[in-house]
Amino acid sequence: MATAAILRFTLLAALWIVLAGHGWTDLPVGLVAAAFATWASLSLLPPSQLRLRPHSCMVLLLRFPWAALRAGLQVARLALDPRVSPTPSEVIYVPRLPPGRARDAFLAYASLLPGTLPAGPDVSGGIVVHALNGTAGVLESLAEEEARFARAFRLDD
Amino acid sequence: MSLLADAFTILAILAGIGFFAAGTAGLLRFPDTASRLHALTKADHLGLGLVVIGLLPQAGSLANTLRLLAVWALVLVASAAAGPMLATLTRRAEPET
Repeated sequence: MATAAILRFTLLAALWIVLAGHGWTDLPVGLVAAAFATWASLSLLPPSQLRLRPHSCMVLLLRFPWAALRAGLQVARLALDPRVSPTPSEVIYVPRLPPGRARDAFLAYASLLPGTLPAGPDVSGGIVVHALNGTAGVLESLAEEEARFARAFRLDD
Repeated sequence: MSLLADAFTILAILAGIGFFAAGTAGLLRFPDTASRLHALTKADHLGLGLVVIGLLPQAGSLANTLRLLAVWALVLVASAAAGPMLATLTRRAEPET
């Protein structure tokens, strides 16, 4: 716990310094803010072992700008081209990751991917996913992304 | 070199503004709240990303570069957390859509 607290405090204080600069007059405020943020972080997300596969993480990270570009282009085309309009629909996706932090992290990640926005649990135990432009290929692409995500964080062992 | 950097900055920021405009058009045009969330998150992320990439050659120091990247990362993380939450609340409030 102490190691996690020190690590998170250091990272949050570093983030403060990156954002606000390292002036001596501002630093005490930043350190107090980092201390409160560390407390909140430990309460909301107790420390657990994070296991990574560096290569798969890198694949996930490098694919992200491409996904962001496709997502942005899709929205821009639907918003600006008068000949097309979105056909919003909902699909039920059942993640392979069990309910918990890993699944929540994947759903947050999935909300940044093209055309999909997780919109809460379904009564059947799946996740309702709002699809911006039809449902074709949505479930398959989510399953692929989940497999990539699980590989990167060693959740598929 | 400076001219090239300036040209890159102008092009990237103009493209970024274009995506912000597209996001706003989506906000006005899209039929339901969740679709508008797609517009506000995805197009604006790309717009902000392009503005940040465009500003990097003008940053002048490592501190400014890191600050720009941190702002982009914080916006991504905040909207990845808030987007699904808002979509969930919307679905509860508008179950017919």
